[in-house]
Amino acid sequence: MEEGRAERRRRTEALSHPQGGTRRAGVMTDVHRRFLQLLMTHGVLEEWDVRRLQKHCYRVHDRTGAVEELEDFINNINSVLESLYIEIKKGATEDDGRPVYALVNLATTSVSKMASDFAENELDLFRKALELIIDSDTGFASSTNILNLVDQLKGKKMRKKEAEQVLQKFVQNKWLIEKEGEFTLHSRAILEMEQYIRETYPDAVKICNICHSLLIQGQSCETCGIRMHLPCVAKYFQPSLEPRCPHCNDYWPHEIPEVFDPEKEREAGPSKVSKRSLRSRQH
Amino acid sequence: MRTLSCTDSDEGARSQDEGSPSSSNGAEVLRRDPLNKKVVLLVQFLLQKYKKREPITKADMLKFVIKRYKYHFNEILKRASEHMELAFGVDLKEVDPVRHCYTLVNKLDLTFDGTMHEEENMPKTGLLMIVLGVIFMKGSCAPEEEVWEVLNMMGVYAERKHFIYGEPKKVITQDLVQLKYLEYRQLHGDPPRYEFLWGPRARAEITSKRKLEVNATILGAFPSHYEKALREEEESLWNRCSQSGIYCNG
Repeated sequence: MEEGRAERRRRTEALSHPQGGTRRAGVMTDVHRRFLQLLMTHGVLEEWDVRRLQKHCYRVHDRTGAVEELEDFINNINSVLESLYIEIKKGATEDDGRPVYALVNLATTSVSKMASDFAENELDLFRKALELIIDSDTGFASSTNILNLVDQLKGKKMRKKEAEQVLQKFVQNKWLIEKEGEFTLHSRAILEMEQYIRETYPDAVKICNICHSLLIQGQSCETCGIRMHLPCVAKYFQPSLEPRCPHCNDYWPHEIPEVFDPEKEREAGPSKVSKRSLRSRQH
Repeated sequence: MRTLSCTDSDEGARSQDEGSPSSSNGAEVLRRDPLNKKVVLLVQFLLQKYKKREPITKADMLKFVIKRYKYHFNEILKRASEHMELAFGVDLKEVDPVRHCYTLVNKLDLTFDGTMHEEENMPKTGLLMIVLGVIFMKGSCAPEEEVWEVLNMMGVYAERKHFIYGEPKKVITQDLVQLKYLEYRQLHGDPPRYEFLWGPRARAEITSKRKLEVNATILGAFPSHYEKALREEEESLWNRCSQSGIYCNG
């Protein structure tokens, strides 16, 4: 089966599931397949939509069946996808902690997952924006700063006007978020590219002190410099009256956001009220 | 975090026992199976093509994915198709054995029991079918307002995000137009108005039987003049298919 000589490379597999060595073999039915197809079409979905989607898939393919608990449902699918290096990953929006799900491809560690949708110069524009975002203190890169880099792009020459539209395309396709003329990474990009970002920018990358995941937006301690995601801040400081830095114990100077409550969200109705932007700027 | 090195040097890739993607015992047999990596990459490639509804050729697969392993193409393709079917319910079918063109067919639509009454029971292609149905009923083109009238009845609105279709307005005026299933034309006059027509790809791909199914559920009944129009359309479609050599499954 092999062609030529191949080097044997030993790899250890990190077992990421709680049951230790054993792994329940997943059973895929058309309910799961339809769910997967639809999730794939959307790219990324918030948990509320994911639950509706799951129920829809049951209604189409298995009206009488009991709707499986979402976490088990997804673990089931993931166990079948494991051998394909694809995974349904759960994350949270960085500004207000809404849970989101994306179908993530673990096999390609680069921005090339966007490659089929964008031209070479567009991908390079994204890379430039990504670098500015990662290097920034706030997690945001201004439109001006990004556009000033158009002359350095690989591929076909791009004018600033065109670049503005490409940035909008990134927003529409949920790779970037725009707020007041500045851009940051969409939760989809964070989920899909975390590995790539950590490997490519090991020195510039910021990590949350609480959850140890990639951090783009967050709050930081003014004394020791550790950083935390806004939803991580909310959860960590929720019970305490006097918030103190978990690392250096100094007083935590920033406004503590509220923990995301899906029940409150549902009461507000499907027309989403504009989210409070709790981006705290560091100067 | 699991990674899969993407270099082309194809050293002994870590793999799992083919056919049992998740073995139930802790000890996994690590065999040298470099084909497995290619299978994984081919699945990724096919998924991209499926999402974008682009045609798939053997030439592309060899060039972008298989590369050095071209003598194992059939084996790799077979394994990738099995994964696609098992995990995604998507079938890889060869449509042109001479030029080696393939297409990906959604198996799930075939098992769909067709109760299209409620808003939530429509698959994504259902949106296209509804629009095509409205156009077909009007003749050859339908004004945009009428299309929205029908969609609104099914709980799909232009200015509201839909939990399956996303942005319906974008889907029907841009995405489906780009994919050549629909045409979106501006009419003369002010303020600007638009109409929809069947796109070339819809004409080639949609069989008359499927049209009948869709329209039956929209209308709920067959007025006799409508039946006659359908029959004529079916004949002309069959003639066009035979002439252009496109295989029509009725």
